[in-house]
Amino acid sequence: MEQRPPSDLWERLQQVPRHYIYLLLSGVIVWQLLAPIRLPILPSPPTRGVYDAIRAVPAGKLIVISTDWDASTQAETGPQTRAVLEACFQAGKPFALMNLASPMGAKLGNDIAVEVGKEYHAEYGMVWCNWGYKAGFTNVLLAMARNIPKTMGQDFYGKPVAALHMMQKVRTIRDVGLVIEITGLANMTEAWVGLIQGPYRIPFAAAYTAVMAPGYYQFLDSGQLEGMLVGAKGAAEMESLVNRPGAGTAIMSAQSWAHVLIIALIIFGNLGFVLTRAREKGRER
Amino acid sequence: MNPEIYVLWAAVIATLAVYSILYRENPVSRLFEHVFVGLSAGYMLAITWTQNLEGRWWNPMVHQRLWYWIFAPVVGALFYLIYSRRLVWLARLVMGLFFGTAAGTFFREFFPLYSPQLYRSFKPLVASRSVGWGEVILHNWIFVVILFTVMSYFFFSIPHEGRAGRVLARTSLVGRWFLMIAFGAMFGNTVMARLSLFIGRLQYLLYDWIGRYVPWVLHRGM
Amino acid sequence: MLLLYALHRLLGPRGRRWLIALVTFVAGLFYGLEYFYPAKGNPSANFLTKWIEPVSIMLAVIGFFLVGLGVYSLCHVHGRNVAKRRPGWHNSLAFFVSMIAMLVFALWEHYLHLREPTPAVVPWPKGVYEVLFNGLFAPLQAATFSLLAFYIASAAYRAFRIRSAEAALMMGAAFIVMLGQVPVGMWLTSGIPASGPAAFFRLEKLGEWVMNWLNTPAQRGITFGIAVGALAMSLRVWLSLERGTFFSEQA
Repeated sequence: MEQRPPSDLWERLQQVPRHYIYLLLSGVIVWQLLAPIRLPILPSPPTRGVYDAIRAVPAGKLIVISTDWDASTQAETGPQTRAVLEACFQAGKPFALMNLASPMGAKLGNDIAVEVGKEYHAEYGMVWCNWGYKAGFTNVLLAMARNIPKTMGQDFYGKPVAALHMMQKVRTIRDVGLVIEITGLANMTEAWVGLIQGPYRIPFAAAYTAVMAPGYYQFLDSGQLEGMLVGAKGAAEMESLVNRPGAGTAIMSAQSWAHVLIIALIIFGNLGFVLTRAREKGRER
Repeated sequence: MNPEIYVLWAAVIATLAVYSILYRENPVSRLFEHVFVGLSAGYMLAITWTQNLEGRWWNPMVHQRLWYWIFAPVVGALFYLIYSRRLVWLARLVMGLFFGTAAGTFFREFFPLYSPQLYRSFKPLVASRSVGWGEVILHNWIFVVILFTVMSYFFFSIPHEGRAGRVLARTSLVGRWFLMIAFGAMFGNTVMARLSLFIGRLQYLLYDWIGRYVPWVLHRGM
Repeated sequence: MLLLYALHRLLGPRGRRWLIALVTFVAGLFYGLEYFYPAKGNPSANFLTKWIEPVSIMLAVIGFFLVGLGVYSLCHVHGRNVAKRRPGWHNSLAFFVSMIAMLVFALWEHYLHLREPTPAVVPWPKGVYEVLFNGLFAPLQAATFSLLAFYIASAAYRAFRIRSAEAALMMGAAFIVMLGQVPVGMWLTSGIPASGPAAFFRLEKLGEWVMNWLNTPAQRGITFGIAVGALAMSLRVWLSLERGTFFSEQA
């Protein structure tokens, strides 16, 4: 169907090529990355829940951090992982990384842990370890509830998990004081809550991408989640709690103005649409 | 070998190749799409061996001499019979095993997962010593009303006719309004997530790549 | 193998269908029964509990062999492109080169048995692996998904049209949540006192209220519906009442 040529400014604005919108978006973000307007970030109650849950882990218990994310969500889950690891190192709580889905997350999470661990002089196998990617999902959860070293087999580096120093007293899920799920995938939380948190009463916290977070506020309400990080905002809030501003905080200033741009585009687009439609109705009469 | 500089330039070229698709479809972006799929397949194979098969199948079978593990690849190989018209039923046999397992696992998950949700849906609707009327009305009443109207929206098996049906039609209309609010919240979060992904990539290009050669750019981010 | 051969020879289509249904039923019964059967002792256990761990590990190991199915399918498609020199066959060749390169160097890096902390200068296979993973694999995936930001911006201007009251409601909620999640929203309403009844109208508080008290019950209503549906579906799969998923058309 042939489009008749635009008759006025509003109609012309309705047909702006998309490349100009792409350039506008890029320009706003580059502006904020180069000249950030830093505004304070206040931790929200869900983020504070994660932080408090980490600090409340009893002595002698392990934190299990499941890094079920990959590079597609790295901008959100990467800073979340870093902030959570910082909190664990600062609180002096031993933790084990693992991965049930998204095999990339095993290495991406490990790279972050190695980098952060160097800052805290944390030795691998003593304060933290990485059980690696374990395929099988619910079968892994069911088996690890009974016998973690046998279920995990080898760690990320190929060494038997049972041989690691920090794993000597860890046998079943009851030796775990907190599970933190960092993911961009649906249905991971349901399995953890249904098979581990519910039956064994293991405290559970999570960090989600912003897309999936709205669906998990109900778990906060029911008490099944101790706390929740929501996207890059959650990462920024956690960074402020651990006093280590990083990528999450840097994203928020650019994010602010990008949101303002999207809202402006929606309002502007609808304004043009309404005016154009009113004009066409006037013409018809 | 210090791979840092090679990693940086490979990442920049790959990122810009993908972004070239925003201008128009071109051979470079298509090539890198295929490279991505290939890397993904290769990585999946490698990590299945190094993180799973080697430690949980090969070592127990060969080094601990638990020879019954030889049956695992036999059963696993049955999946591949899906390509054979005569023997496809054997693939379905193994699939049935896993589907049955999934169903059984869901039965286990159901009560621990949903019973706390059901329990906490019964919010107190009158004020108490700890919760004032303001909070009860602003939070709990709204919660219960939204929950019931949204659930009534999904009662498709009751027709919206007759007295009861008309009441259901009205509650389901209200439920639809509240669903639109929830979808609006989801949309807002989706915008936040998508923008974060792009900001993350731009951060890499600006701070890690350009910032390496133009220190002023790197310092802007600090 | 002999058992499978015997089953294949002896069972007709009806018998095969019954065997599949039986295997599905027993697999589901094992997990369900272990959960629901009364348990005694500390930790509580019944006669099936000690089998959960070995059976789960066995099923997980069997599942590992499934990875070849997807890879075989990809190789089949791209192999045909290369063999028949179809247009774009060089892209399929690039697929094979990158797949083999990643497989070889990932395995090679694993068998170097490098321990943490790894030095800045590493053996060259590890260096190549880092280039493939952190230089190509991760950035390609990140960049591909970051394209969505552009599409959202373009759609926001060109496609999102508020044509009804419900759409207006949706956009209003979206605006509140979008501004409430970012520092600029907090700054816009920073003039409102942080405590007292008026604090409710601060954008971050309003956003939180929308998420906790408007979004949560709606999501829970959806969840209850999904839960009942999923339970019904699981029952149908367990009892093999479902047709057309993994059962043959002739059944």
